Amino acid sequence: MSNRVFAKTGFLTRFSFKKDWLKLVIWTVALAGLFTSVAAKFTSLYGTKSSIDTIVSTLKSPAMTALFGKMPSGPYTTADVFASEMTVFMAIMAAIMNFSIVIKNTRSDEDTGILEIIRAHSVGKISNLTATLIEVFIVNISIGLLYSIGLITANLHGTDINGDFLLGIGLGVSGLMFASIAAFLAQLVDNARAASMLSYLVLGIMYIARMSTDVSRPKLTWWVPFGWVELFSIYKDNNWTPVFLMLGLSIILSALAMWINSKRDMGAGIIATRPGRAHASVFLNGTLGLFWRLHRTSIIVWVIGLMVLGFTYGSIFNTIGDLLKTNPTIATILGPDALRSANVRIIKEFAAALMIVFGVLAMIPGIQIINYLKTGESKGYLEMIHAKPVGRIRLFTNNFILALFTTYLALFTSIWGLQLGGVYSMKHPIGLDIFMRGFYGYISPIFIMLGIAVALIGLAPKLANLSYAYVLVALFVGYFGKLIDLPKWVDKITPFGFIPKVPLHTLDPGTFWWQMLIGLVLIIIGYIGYVNRDINGAN
Amino acid sequence: MTKTNEPVLHIDHLQKKFGKFEALKNVSFDVYPGEVFGFIGPNGAGKSTTIRTLLGILRANGGTATIFGQDVFKDSVSIHKRLAYVPGDVYLWPNLTGGEIIDLFLKLGGSMHSQKTDDMIKRFQLDPTKKARTYSKGNRQKVALIAAFSTDADFYIFDEPTSGLDPLNEEYFQKSVLELKKQGKAVLLSSHILSEVEKMCDRIGIIRKGEIVETGTLAEMRHLTRTVIEFKTIDPAPELGSMPGVHNVVTQANGLQTFSVDSDHMTEVMDYLAGKQIVSLQSTPPTLEDLFMRYYNTDENTKGGVKNE
Repeated sequence: MSNRVFAKTGFLTRFSFKKDWLKLVIWTVALAGLFTSVAAKFTSLYGTKSSIDTIVSTLKSPAMTALFGKMPSGPYTTADVFASEMTVFMAIMAAIMNFSIVIKNTRSDEDTGILEIIRAHSVGKISNLTATLIEVFIVNISIGLLYSIGLITANLHGTDINGDFLLGIGLGVSGLMFASIAAFLAQLVDNARAASMLSYLVLGIMYIARMSTDVSRPKLTWWVPFGWVELFSIYKDNNWTPVFLMLGLSIILSALAMWINSKRDMGAGIIATRPGRAHASVFLNGTLGLFWRLHRTSIIVWVIGLMVLGFTYGSIFNTIGDLLKTNPTIATILGPDALRSANVRIIKEFAAALMIVFGVLAMIPGIQIINYLKTGESKGYLEMIHAKPVGRIRLFTNNFILALFTTYLALFTSIWGLQLGGVYSMKHPIGLDIFMRGFYGYISPIFIMLGIAVALIGLAPKLANLSYAYVLVALFVGYFGKLIDLPKWVDKITPFGFIPKVPLHTLDPGTFWWQMLIGLVLIIIGYIGYVNRDINGAN
Repeated sequence: MTKTNEPVLHIDHLQKKFGKFEALKNVSFDVYPGEVFGFIGPNGAGKSTTIRTLLGILRANGGTATIFGQDVFKDSVSIHKRLAYVPGDVYLWPNLTGGEIIDLFLKLGGSMHSQKTDDMIKRFQLDPTKKARTYSKGNRQKVALIAAFSTDADFYIFDEPTSGLDPLNEEYFQKSVLELKKQGKAVLLSSHILSEVEKMCDRIGIIRKGEIVETGTLAEMRHLTRTVIEFKTIDPAPELGSMPGVHNVVTQANGLQTFSVDSDHMTEVMDYLAGKQIVSLQSTPPTLEDLFMRYYNTDENTKGGVKNE
């Protein structure tokens, strides 16, 4: 009997690979390539004792601990620096990849009815879920092995084979853990959108939890699944325990997901969709009202989520902006006033490094909204709207206005949260006006980035997802660029490379205006494209 | 039928290409106020492409199409103020309820939820409080139909609107369309359900591979095809099979004979049979389905056009 629920799992797994191969190849090549090329670069970056000491003192600061995780104790080699800089970031990438694949192949296919057709054949109840899990298992372990091979090839000073495999496989297994989290959460709710939001919510909570335990009570990080990737103690103790913990959690969550999946009805979840209004509210009165209604939940989640993230970073200002902690003699040299201004400077530096994170995260819901003109179009949702007396100009403008509003609001709340966190943690908090320099400085590059998204919607809707890729590039260059010492020109491949470091400096009006102008041109291009092109249907 | 007025819809040599593929090669027809125009053709013939072009969603590569005398692409907004549309595949936002979506569609068209809307919700028996993700195909179609029927438009376009409806609701649909017709509205109905078209449509256009191959009333079209006749005569009728326009002469086990005859050769055949002392004679007029099948089968068998066969 039990083999019947798994019937045709092997076939579905092969089918899944056939269907997803391009996506899988792109992810694998991108992740393994990124990891290996950074590793290869590290010997030239941190080959000497002095360069290692400098970066280690930075990485040991609470600010960097918050971003990258806790450094193990010394002495340090090039390999240690690499491991502590890359682990958390690669784990986040693994989460994004696995969430998207798992939710697409389980809930989305269920939403669209594809799964119903599959299940109508002699296919077991949980075959599709199992096939998806097998698929991501193979992909994650392959990527992990490629990481290990990359590490062995790069042959950084201070590596050992055991550590190379631990880091690679450990990251691979972390991907598997995220896959099982998504698979489990996808059983609880009854649609793909909610499954996706819930997964990222859980990821966000785990990220913030590990950040606060790292900074305050590192031992407690053992209680946070996301924190396990930091606990390998690579090239020191080479501790495999976290890998087994992750495997264990994956097995438990996968089993739970399968159990729920085998018990529940097709299209149902534990948390069911409630009935709603029989009439539209006064707000649902046009395209702007419709777009707001469609994105309402996601806008609220992003805005509040970014505020919480900002607040969490702000709440560690007291530890970051305290030079006395790292260097007790400094007070006697600088004097109290100079010490305070030096402390403030450090916090501003930290805030400047965080801005790119806030900026990128704030752009994601904005691009999501802009791309709805494409997703809604290809899913057929907008066909009825296009048949109404609603001009494309109105649809286009309303959509863009909501996207701009969302992104700038999310950016503002993240900065506000940062400042509030500072108020909560510092004796002499820094005013909001200082942090707002970051907001003003980021207006123009974000305008260009959203302009690119809009231009793609108008000219090449099939390439709409490139906007996300470009945003990830901006995150990588802005967040990592300094640490891995990328060439200067790389900084200039996104509009963020042209603005002054805010809030350390104030916005430069010249840059502001030419960037706004480019953004405007992109928007006009997008508009002309959108108004004149064919609107494609769902079939 | 009031054909005295200007046409509501006028299409002249409409063409549409997707890359190299010519989806519409030559589409021309008119729809007048107070008439229901049936638009039939097999899958992929270009029905939906034509309709999408009429809605200004797709941009034509050649020819002209006007609704209310205005260009369908350039003046789409002002045309859509007086137009209602129901697509064949209705996709609704899964997290909105049917009631919300109906109201939204009405508001977007500049009208409001009215008594008519409530009547239509009742007529089609829709639960408007349910989220669209829980609706079946038929229920999603009902949402679009209710919104369309409670809109006061002058031109209604239905693209296979009943493909998901049960027979009872199909009946309600037909009833609602006839009400529109009585009010002098123009209706373009694309459908696969030929009995529905036969019952409701004043004129019919048949599209094949992006070209309109025939337009006219059903009566006019019947002239182009054959009537099936079943008869019994006292004297044998051996020459029947060789008469022009006569096909498929079959003698059945019970002694009855059947054959089909081209409509324009009917008189000679009847005269011939009358001379053989008819005992019984029954004629079955060609259905739209016969007509339809003949147009499409000929294409597969490449026997040539219907008329010259």
